[in-house]
Amino acid sequence: MTPAMKNSAEAKHWTACISSPEEWKEFSRRLLHFAGNHRVIAFSGPMGSGKTTLIKEICRQLEVADVVASPTFAIIYEYRSRNSETVYHMDFFRIKSLEEVYALGYEDYLYSGSWCFIEWPEPVKHLLPPESVWVEISVDDTDLRRVRVSREKDTG
Amino acid sequence: MHVTILAIESSCDDTSAALVRNGIVLSNLIANQKVHRNYGGVVPELASRAHQQHVVPVVDQALKEAGVEKNRLSAVAFTQGPGLLGSLLVGVSFAKGLALSLGIPLIGVNHLHAHIMAHWAGEPGKKVKTPGFPFLCLLVSGGHTQLVVARGFLEMEVIGQTIDDAAGEAFDKCAKVLGIPYPGGPVIDRLSREGDPHAFAFARPRIGGLDFSFSGLKTSFLYLVHDEVEKNPRFIEERKADLSASIQHTIVEVLMDKLEKASEQTGIREIGIAGGVSANQALRDALEERAKRYGWNIYIPEFIYTTDNAGMIGVTAYYKYLAGERTGQETVPLARFPM
Repeated sequence: MTPAMKNSAEAKHWTACISSPEEWKEFSRRLLHFAGNHRVIAFSGPMGSGKTTLIKEICRQLEVADVVASPTFAIIYEYRSRNSETVYHMDFFRIKSLEEVYALGYEDYLYSGSWCFIEWPEPVKHLLPPESVWVEISVDDTDLRRVRVSREKDTG
Repeated sequence: MHVTILAIESSCDDTSAALVRNGIVLSNLIANQKVHRNYGGVVPELASRAHQQHVVPVVDQALKEAGVEKNRLSAVAFTQGPGLLGSLLVGVSFAKGLALSLGIPLIGVNHLHAHIMAHWAGEPGKKVKTPGFPFLCLLVSGGHTQLVVARGFLEMEVIGQTIDDAAGEAFDKCAKVLGIPYPGGPVIDRLSREGDPHAFAFARPRIGGLDFSFSGLKTSFLYLVHDEVEKNPRFIEERKADLSASIQHTIVEVLMDKLEKASEQTGIREIGIAGGVSANQALRDALEERAKRYGWNIYIPEFIYTTDNAGMIGVTAYYKYLAGERTGQETVPLARFPM
């Protein structure tokens, strides 16, 4: 581990390279540790980059017993972790406007204190609580993912 | 004695109301421009989330169309879940208020259960061919992909489901890769008629048992298109029909493989499909082909009953009513509501 990784809880951002699906497990641990008490995590990245796969792995670590699937159609799925905590899995892929987000009652979820894992978060990027965690996945080639984790979107 | 039920569905995008008498659907309306015109209003811009604006006009219209007075109702039914909490809440609250004011029972219905029960939705003067029990149903929609065994009207068991994307979502997202706006599934169906289903091969999911996975297939499609576009920028344009037909064929085969397996394992030959994707022509053709090959009796509800509609909620509520099932006024919507 590099020194930057050791201090990931304090660092503002870090990056990781994922070359096989098994590596999401270790990544998820680090991510949960980094997020700490800030429970809103946004996952951006192109289609097929592994957003749902990563969230499945995170939910496994939180001991969610429900089937974790893509909420693209449903927009919000609700799960329970083993200690009965609520986990929200959200997906704004088919949301077209901010007004639709308002109509959803987004603040009930994002400010609930529960885990919120958000796929396709672009429509809500200005509505996320401060200190939300951003996970940006880019696809280098078929098998390689570069992931940037930060407290703020699009900053150095 | 007649059992007349007003049913309300508001689990996701559409608000719908239906009148069901003795299991027969008298009216089944989904809020749209016409409903609003008759009520003297217009459809709001945010139609998909505006259940609040839709619910009164659509219920009013459903009662009028069925020619039923409110005071003749036996019960009020509503979709209790699963779905979006905010959307469900509108239907639940409306149903509670109405039932309370009329002094009649409330019946909460599981949305997925109702999709299966759509097979029993009859209409006045129309004979519907209904499945016998046990009945094996493949529920396929934008949000769901499940294999369900119904042992009775109220006995449902999920024996397989998707572990990532729903089949309808696979259609919609592959369509998006081809530049077709969401939800593009029906466009894929149309384009496929002109294309070769064997033009391209994609990685099939390797998942055991009766569960489904479509995420890898979507990615395989995406990579193929990306690679080909790099070589030829006009690739999508030139091969849209073949790409559509090939991905559709693959999705349908994946669904059929599991359905065959489920039939084999359970020994059930009363087999149906339900949910929005059951409108897909290739899926219907494949089901008919299997029916001939394996001697299945197959069932497909009419289109209106495959989408999210209150008719299926009312039909389900009718059988719950007969079984004496009632829901208390203290009830709440359930975003998470396994069948």
